[in-house]
Amino acid sequence: MVGARAALVAPAREEHLPSVPALGTLYRAALTGAARRALGRGLPTRGRAATGSAPTLPEAALPAIALRVTDVRADARRLTDYQHLVGEPASDTLPPGYVHVLAFPVAMAVMARPDFPLPLLGLVHLANHVEQRRPLDVGDALDVRAWARDLRPHPKGTAVDLVAEVSVAGEVAWTGVSTYLARGGQGIDPSAGGHGRDPGPASVPHDQAPSPDSTGDPGTRTALWRLPADEGRRYAAVSGDANPIHLSRATARALGQPRAIAHGMDTAARALALVGRARGAAFTWGAAFGSPVRLPSTVAVAVRRSADGDGGAQGWVVDGRDARSGRHHVTVRIVPQA
Amino acid sequence: MSPSATIGTPGTRVGDSSGGAGTPGGARPAYVLGGNRVPFARAFTAYARSSNQDLLTAALDGLVARHGLQGERIGEVAAGAVLKHSRDFNLTREAVLGSALDPTTPAFDVQQACATSLETVVALSNKIRLGQLESAIAGGVDTTSDAPVAVDDRLRRTLVELQRARTPQARLRALARIRPAHLVPDAPSASEPRTGLSMGEHQALTTAQWGISRSAQDEVAVRSHQRLAAAWDAGFFDDLVTPYRGLTRDGNLRADTTLEKLAALKPVFGKDLPGEATMTAGNSTPLTDGASTVLLGSAAWAAEHGLTPWAAVVDAEVAAVDFVHGEDGLLMAPVFAVPRLLARNGLTLDDLDLVEVHEAFAATVVCTLTAWESDAFGRERLGLDGAFGSVKPERLNVHGSSLAAGHPFAATGGRIVATVAKELHLRRRALLADGDDRPVRALVSVCAAGGLGLAALLEAA
Repeated sequence: MVGARAALVAPAREEHLPSVPALGTLYRAALTGAARRALGRGLPTRGRAATGSAPTLPEAALPAIALRVTDVRADARRLTDYQHLVGEPASDTLPPGYVHVLAFPVAMAVMARPDFPLPLLGLVHLANHVEQRRPLDVGDALDVRAWARDLRPHPKGTAVDLVAEVSVAGEVAWTGVSTYLARGGQGIDPSAGGHGRDPGPASVPHDQAPSPDSTGDPGTRTALWRLPADEGRRYAAVSGDANPIHLSRATARALGQPRAIAHGMDTAARALALVGRARGAAFTWGAAFGSPVRLPSTVAVAVRRSADGDGGAQGWVVDGRDARSGRHHVTVRIVPQA
Repeated sequence: MSPSATIGTPGTRVGDSSGGAGTPGGARPAYVLGGNRVPFARAFTAYARSSNQDLLTAALDGLVARHGLQGERIGEVAAGAVLKHSRDFNLTREAVLGSALDPTTPAFDVQQACATSLETVVALSNKIRLGQLESAIAGGVDTTSDAPVAVDDRLRRTLVELQRARTPQARLRALARIRPAHLVPDAPSASEPRTGLSMGEHQALTTAQWGISRSAQDEVAVRSHQRLAAAWDAGFFDDLVTPYRGLTRDGNLRADTTLEKLAALKPVFGKDLPGEATMTAGNSTPLTDGASTVLLGSAAWAAEHGLTPWAAVVDAEVAAVDFVHGEDGLLMAPVFAVPRLLARNGLTLDDLDLVEVHEAFAATVVCTLTAWESDAFGRERLGLDGAFGSVKPERLNVHGSSLAAGHPFAATGGRIVATVAKELHLRRRALLADGDDRPVRALVSVCAAGGLGLAALLEAA
């Protein structure tokens, strides 16, 4: 794990934010930013202007800064609503996905910066890898840091990792790496890829969290998620993440989706809830997202034990696929830590 | 077999002459003295307007009338319903107050899904065995015709807020939050809360996992209808059922059903699973309305009231399976409860004259029997040297079961216990007449939502 943490070292420069930024403000800022880019042919299309020879994607292209907010606390009422929606027991311990909810706006603030090279809106959540070292409670004062790393080409565009780190009393309790994709035209020229780099979510440090396997046998069905048309709005209400791509058909269309799609962290949280207390107090978990869940939708879910040689260590695998077509939506892998 | 005339004071051991009905822990025996139910009706038919309280009161009153208990103060009455209105928080007590029993008869409610009324039999028997009660009535009721319909959670929160609002402005603010979508009611659903799969969908997975054929299921269904019809024709239920609302027999019973007719039905569960879908409306239980009661008592109380004990409730075992993580099928818990129950009593399946396995679905019964007959399952999951054993068809559900009678969830255990206790009593009497004094035993096994399973051991008195 030492090597992995070394790979996740935050930029030296740090900026303190007075409070957790409101996501609505960030999305609005992103919308204006998107308009500005569309008009001015800004940063994202610069790669296309380059010659066929692939430019490298230096870390320097990412803002070399970590944003930090201290004394972040969970609101008990919102936590309860979240727990009810995703099927977690309403305990005072923060569900693993809820820590992401608290830390995510800080990562969003990194992505909403004018010097962030990819357009925030329309980014596709490819994967999530989290190490939870100890449980976090509703009363804990959380210290959240977030930064971007590893801007890289991806077969379908450009990928980037957003790291969020949550500490309590100076000790890191939770580290999450979310991988996002900016699709071809929106991001840096896909032809700029190459250099033998391992594309996609697999390039997230493997030892930081197990990489979910979205292929292979889903296992015996153990549950069905009947996600209603307004599931995106329901998740937005409990998470505060009102990304328009999840809210309605109209706003989703504006972002290239025919219908509103379920939030990846909604399905991941439901998968985590199905495994429940068997996760243990400390664990790593990873989520890999396949085709988006277009709402309304029925997702067939299979929970199974993973053994040694089954893509990694002993733990649990939750696989979600479209109940009719069998198309893969999400795989969550959980490995309890001794 | 006449009951013991020994009068016991609470807490003392009372000897009985039941031929050695087992009483682990040395407690005195508790007996099934009778039972009564209303005929079970398919949902939205004869009892379409009847509530849980109506049906439970009707079943209770029939029991009171048959056993001369008018004005009698019973030690305690316990019953319950699976689909329950919040206003029915004291359903059983309310039914007692509406019945001919003494109004000072206490009551409590139980809810353990489809095992509810079997659990009331077990709990009340234990109280009798401990000397806390001399008499008791166990039971259960369910109606899907009068099921509670919940409002959308968001509307419910708004309505609660509206009640708390003190000013017209606050009320308006609350009302203004109501959206048309909030007005769509949440229909009652038979889905498992944690998995979102209906019971039929869960059983379809288990059916496929165990490779149970369509014909094996249809055979169980046909036998259930034929045996229940034969029992009705023989007058077996004359002292177990009281007609209600014009219904004199179970409305779901199809005496003339055949394998050919069942084979013509289209599958309803498991259609989106790989492999052939085998579960139909014919080999699954329908939504049913009904209520059942069981009269329990000590030997002394029975003697005082001139009642003949039918069978002792000897022991019970409950189990649960981890269906959430896919470890076992939702309805497979009895597969684990029964071996533990029999082992504790030094018995095997061969020692049982009667075996009642609740027919939630025909496939549930076949899966259960198949697991018990599996050498690998016996060794790997039950910790035995090999297969647990097999049940002879002539001992299994001898008067039919839920596929024919229907399955008003919480009422099913009471129906089974009363039926099998009477049958035990008749068999014991016949054996004694032939000079055979051997014990006559029955097993009752009921699977339930939540991956629960409850099994009880009865012995003829």
